[in-house]
Amino acid sequence: MSQEGAPLDEISFSDFLDDYYAECDEHLMGARRLLLALETSIGRGPVNRSVLDELFRHFHSLKGISGMVELRAAEQLAHHLEDYLRVLRAGEAEPTRDGLDALFAGTQTLEQVIAARRAQMPLPPIDAIGSRIAQLIAMDAAPGVAQPPLADAASRAPLGARRWHISFSPSQELMARGIRVDTIRQRLAGAGEILSAAPRVTADGAIAFDFVFTGRVDAATIAAWQGDGVQIEPAEGTGGIAPGAVSDPLPLDTDSPVSPAILAPSHVVRVDLTRLDDLMRNVGDLVISRARLGETLGRVERRLAPAEWRSIQENVLALDLQVRTLREGIMRVRLVPVGEIFRRMPFVVRDLAGETGKRVRLELKGQATEVDKFLIERMMDPVLHLVRNAVSHGIETADERIAAGKRPEGTIVLSAVSAGDVVRIEIADDGRGVDATAVVARARAGGLPVPAGSPDAATLLSLICAPGFSTRELSDRASGRGVGLSVVKSAVDELSGAMYLESEPGVGTTFILDLPVTLAITDALIARAGGDTFAVPQGSVREVIEVATAAMLQVERNEMIAYRGGALPIVRLSQLFQTGEAARDRLHVFVVGTGSGALGIAVDRIIGQREIVVRTITDPLVRVAGIAGATDLGDGHVVLILDPAVLARQMRDRPSRTYTAGGLGR
Amino acid sequence: MTGATATTGLGSYILFSVSGTTYALPTAEVRHMEMIEDITRVPNAPSFVDGVVFSRGQVVPVVNLRARFGFDRVPHDLRTRLIVVQAESRVVGLLVDAAREFVSIPADAVQPPHEALAGMSGRYVEGVASIGDRLILILNLQRILNFADPLPADPAA
Repeated sequence: MSQEGAPLDEISFSDFLDDYYAECDEHLMGARRLLLALETSIGRGPVNRSVLDELFRHFHSLKGISGMVELRAAEQLAHHLEDYLRVLRAGEAEPTRDGLDALFAGTQTLEQVIAARRAQMPLPPIDAIGSRIAQLIAMDAAPGVAQPPLADAASRAPLGARRWHISFSPSQELMARGIRVDTIRQRLAGAGEILSAAPRVTADGAIAFDFVFTGRVDAATIAAWQGDGVQIEPAEGTGGIAPGAVSDPLPLDTDSPVSPAILAPSHVVRVDLTRLDDLMRNVGDLVISRARLGETLGRVERRLAPAEWRSIQENVLALDLQVRTLREGIMRVRLVPVGEIFRRMPFVVRDLAGETGKRVRLELKGQATEVDKFLIERMMDPVLHLVRNAVSHGIETADERIAAGKRPEGTIVLSAVSAGDVVRIEIADDGRGVDATAVVARARAGGLPVPAGSPDAATLLSLICAPGFSTRELSDRASGRGVGLSVVKSAVDELSGAMYLESEPGVGTTFILDLPVTLAITDALIARAGGDTFAVPQGSVREVIEVATAAMLQVERNEMIAYRGGALPIVRLSQLFQTGEAARDRLHVFVVGTGSGALGIAVDRIIGQREIVVRTITDPLVRVAGIAGATDLGDGHVVLILDPAVLARQMRDRPSRTYTAGGLGR
Repeated sequence: MTGATATTGLGSYILFSVSGTTYALPTAEVRHMEMIEDITRVPNAPSFVDGVVFSRGQVVPVVNLRARFGFDRVPHDLRTRLIVVQAESRVVGLLVDAAREFVSIPADAVQPPHEALAGMSGRYVEGVASIGDRLILILNLQRILNFADPLPADPAA
């Protein structure tokens, strides 16, 4: 891949690679889904032809796009898979158990090859799986119709078609017209078959793509293509075929649609998460500007005629509403269905069940449940781990299950349901349940402190989640890997979630994860009070005002300010939290709560606004009323997050200024 | 409580010093040790809690053992350590003057604390071991972390 890193002005090769990986993901995902569908239909009469067709197209596309990035191993493997599908489509063979296993294995290897290329790691070998598939083809194909290997691909051109050398040089002008290398590839794929494709860097440092293509192309088409930056010339020879060779139909008839994933009008836009983050930051800036505008307006209010002032106020209120709607809209864009992680699981379960020789059925529920993109990325591993755990530790072998009077096939139910701010994910199996005696013995042997008496579910959970704990002596490749469930626990902790265990011997085990939908990230105003920094969740702040200390009235032991025609009690954070106080003649005040519960929290100044990751504070030693959690502003230093609602409630219920420790804030 | 001593003949301990005295905790209860950096004060927390720090992604309270045992606080120096311990599901950091030694103590070398020894830290001591001419006080982690326990300044108890 000598082109990589070459200076390319208009089209960066790495952008192109990103597109490639994204497209691979789609095709691999599609292929897996179809393979699973195929599996359920085995032995139940004729296979649905459209499933085979679609599967074929996925592999065909993978071959094509892999060729364009010169990932030869992937191209070759996809080609093998495609060839086998070709045989199956031609009706020459029924998909067998072996055949399906080979397709699964091939898809898995293909995925590994692509992932390795992406991570710039050495590619896994493909020869074994390649020859396994080739063997199947040789066995299944009609006698004398052995499929030619990849090198001979060019000789498989259909009769009457010609071979062409085509080269395409992308340019900004073409891009503006919507013509990219993908466009050309689709065009070619629609008119025949792409035999090879490769990028190259031209003498002037631009990038170009060379295709060898076979198909029927008339003069008008050639002219049209040439207008779109395509150079086309006939290749030597006419792509003649060895007599009697190919009996299968053209993979993609000119009148049949190309990959639906490519041509179907998509209603989904793929957006880079950092762009959403940028947008979110922009909204944050807007919020701050809005606060500044409020300050300025406050100063000019007296100089305006009441009617003018009213109309400004109306506009400001409308602006507030719009800012909030915009913010919520962007938060919604970040929500993705948990199906995104769930749909990978059938594949995982299938692989693992195969390795462990168990029979496992996976049920998915509530895939449409939405959670923040931030969370879904971090949920993937814990869920994956628990599903693996259920297969390798929960579900018994078929023999054991029969002996226990159960159906030979175990069931794992993976479900998601959202309740308010929390999404509950359950991984339930109908296996053997957690063996409390074994867990306790194992924990003791590992030197973990074990409370006396028979452990309850919570104790069992804390034991099996302890670092280094594993009930299996050998860390099996499935779920063990020597890390056990402690990684799940720490991932859940990090997301401010909670984890529960329900288990009954012989009946099954359920792991329950309660995770925040969006709560883990929130927008906050960052404020200084005395020497300390605090974060205040923006959602709980109604308004930020600037107040002159001279304007604060002392009423008994409380301070008040005039606010919207009434009095607003003020609590100074520096006094409440004894942070020490710098003498200032102006303070920033967060207005929280409404009506009689409204409260102003005075800080020295607001130093910024940003998105924060909320971490819970769980230890009773530091669980203090009015503190909702902690966050890190990027320097590793803990910044406490205020809970204005609790502060306001406490103010109302207890007018005294003293706050005692140990009140359970939340 | 300390399963390591109860079930085996030899317990593994980590030694640390607080105000000139050597204390020990079973290594099984210790997750790891850290140099101490910025501690964020938590308003209205118990007096012996210096605040919170992040330790491996988790918010961990910092218990100042000097304060817990009723000694004066001293400024942190290069030898100051945070011993991050785990007690059931709780993870807490203990701030000590210095810590750097692991020892194995035979179970029969551990004696119950003597009446006369019940000084400031006496109520947190589970046993006393003498290794050579050194006296080592083995601590009961639960009691140190127990919030409801009267503070050292309290003359009751």
